[in-house]
Amino acid sequence: MTDETHSRSLQKFLRHRPALLSLSIILLYGATAAVLIFSSVMTMEHTLEPVAAFNLPGFSRQCMPEKRLRDVERSFRRIEVALRRRNPIEQLKSVTAGSLVLASHDPAYLQSRLDQVDGIIDRLYGYEDLDQIVQDSAQDASAILDQLNELESVATELFTLAEGRTEAGRRFRLLLGTDKQGRSILLRAIWSVRVAILVGFVTGMVSVVFGTALGLVAGYFGGWIDHAVNWLYSTFASIPNIVLLIVLSFAFDGGEFDDLLNRWTGNFARKIIGVPVQETLIPVFIAFCATYWIGPCRVIRGEALKLRELEYVQAAQVLGYGRIRILLRHMLPNVAHLMLINFSLLFIGAIKSEVILSYLGLGVKKGPSWGIMIKQSGQEVINGFYWQIGAATVFMLVLVLAFNILSDAVQDILDPRHVG
Amino acid sequence: MWTYFLRRLLYNVPVFIGILLLVMVALRVRDPVYAYLGKNASADTIEAKREEFGLTRPFILATPMESQFGSFVVQVFTLDFSDDSWDHPGETVGDILGRCIGPSLALSIPALVLTTVISVIISVVAASFRGRLIDQSLVIAAVIGMSVSFLVYIIFGQYWGAYLLPEITGYKPFAINGYTHPSETTWWEYITYHWPHHCLLPVLISVIVAMGYDTRFYRAVMVEESGRDYITTARAKGASQIQVMFGHMLKNAMIPIITRVVITIPFLIMGSFLLETYFTIPGMGRQLILAVEHADFPVVQAFTAVLAAIYILANLLTDVLYALVDPRVRLS
Repeated sequence: MTDETHSRSLQKFLRHRPALLSLSIILLYGATAAVLIFSSVMTMEHTLEPVAAFNLPGFSRQCMPEKRLRDVERSFRRIEVALRRRNPIEQLKSVTAGSLVLASHDPAYLQSRLDQVDGIIDRLYGYEDLDQIVQDSAQDASAILDQLNELESVATELFTLAEGRTEAGRRFRLLLGTDKQGRSILLRAIWSVRVAILVGFVTGMVSVVFGTALGLVAGYFGGWIDHAVNWLYSTFASIPNIVLLIVLSFAFDGGEFDDLLNRWTGNFARKIIGVPVQETLIPVFIAFCATYWIGPCRVIRGEALKLRELEYVQAAQVLGYGRIRILLRHMLPNVAHLMLINFSLLFIGAIKSEVILSYLGLGVKKGPSWGIMIKQSGQEVINGFYWQIGAATVFMLVLVLAFNILSDAVQDILDPRHVG
Repeated sequence: MWTYFLRRLLYNVPVFIGILLLVMVALRVRDPVYAYLGKNASADTIEAKREEFGLTRPFILATPMESQFGSFVVQVFTLDFSDDSWDHPGETVGDILGRCIGPSLALSIPALVLTTVISVIISVVAASFRGRLIDQSLVIAAVIGMSVSFLVYIIFGQYWGAYLLPEITGYKPFAINGYTHPSETTWWEYITYHWPHHCLLPVLISVIVAMGYDTRFYRAVMVEESGRDYITTARAKGASQIQVMFGHMLKNAMIPIITRVVITIPFLIMGSFLLETYFTIPGMGRQLILAVEHADFPVVQAFTAVLAAIYILANLLTDVLYALVDPRVRLS
């Protein structure tokens, strides 16, 4: 491609508004992931610690009365249990309600407050079905809700933020509610951005580079190299990729691969990575790369076969340029657009497959990912709680949609002949 | 025609042997016996099991019947699946295969046919209203549909189909899980009641998921095709819109459609893995995942070989279909 066509493509791209919007969304996700990877603003521990009662809805929406009653009762029970122990003052220090800790009150005061709320709790449990009553009669509803509010205000008075925490931080964590272990859904969804971008970027990059190298070499040299590459990709392409992914993740499961790797490299791998290989994303990367290099390889081999016959490549050969130089300087730039398109397609594919693999228990092993969030929320959906599945879906939808739009636009601009 | 078919078949033999090699090597990265028996097994038990399954033999450097690789290749090509499963004592791999293949086909074949038929029809409609509201909204819906995870469709599909629908209508058309083999009932009952009860919902979910990808692709094909000269000619000689769309255009779009159908097969297999796992339909996908979880080595090895063979045969079938649809293919 000449400089002129380059700038024309660029202009077309800059005029394509949806593509620009998508690109900025992708960059935003990328920046989030970069911050999470390279700084320690947030660690995996943040996504694992409970911040409040389980299955709270997001945007500070209130639950149904029955669940509010149970949640608030649970935090009072913790105090009660601590008070009954032999050394209540010590025990009280470790009483928490999610990320809140018990404020320092003396046991007698706490006991008096508990006695006061116990009456209300008993009265509320006296009702047959709180949710139904609140829905049906406005008069009972206001009475019940007043009592619930009173209970909750006592709880807020007794519990306070732990040292070094801010109210804003707590609100941020509770923005999208909590999962069934009381962990922040927002933090989990954000941490999953890191996983998704890592998986997408690494597998996209490695597969495209590897596939392009093989495809170019096969297409350009032809002969037995072409046959060998052809056989290799037919082989990999003839296993349904989910089957290959399953077999590979079976291979990496358990500690044997880790031991093997460390024996080969003299514990070098362990020193670099720090944790056993099967706990990292490396098995996922390997499994994805093993299946994803085929696409770019096939496309670029086809293109290289065409390019090889063009005048400018032949001219370069006649001029006596080395084969490596022709490959790198003359052919590679002319398949760059295909690399870009394939990269974005693989990126989407990797993100979506990661979700499916994690769901099947073969992907991400430690920490959250969108797949694991969706897997967990299967039970929640039946109970009418949509926040976790909603958060994971929306986070993923926005990224994948942006990538779909971007890759369509890039394809239209750079490879207009392509169908589909 | 037959020489063409034979040539394709022969070409696929080294590919299939390559797959077997790849799978067998991958399965031996970790010691299968150790993975199955766990950490508490004594060295003697592990050694005995290894001996029993022939894992002590040389992997490749021996005569075909003595090496692990050679004997497995011979086993697969002679369809000899008489190895015992580790996890299901008393059952051979062949028995398990036999009972799993039916449910998988009951799920995947209707899904493939329905998906293709529905999305081709939708794409023809979209292409004939090209650029208008109906076309644009279909395109947007397809892109959004493609961006949602398969899992979300499954979870909500099951929730709406098997939970909310009975709640609202009081009529319970779909089961949440399970499967009834046709041998347990009469065929008539299987087709009229058991199949729809267990499989229709997963099939519908799979159709909805695949539709986004397929309509988008078929629409692009149809749009490309509708700009060709023969369409103008057909219009000029007075053929009706329906005739042009389904008579002329669809026939010529057959090649990309066939290609597409084969490209969707791996997605279909992926989909049935998920659907079988979620709806606990005892098909090959679910069985393979269970076998991986329980380190049931003979089953994993044989199932991957069979799935790869099915996939290669499907590819071969496309080649033949190609040659049938387009005589030019046979010559090249």
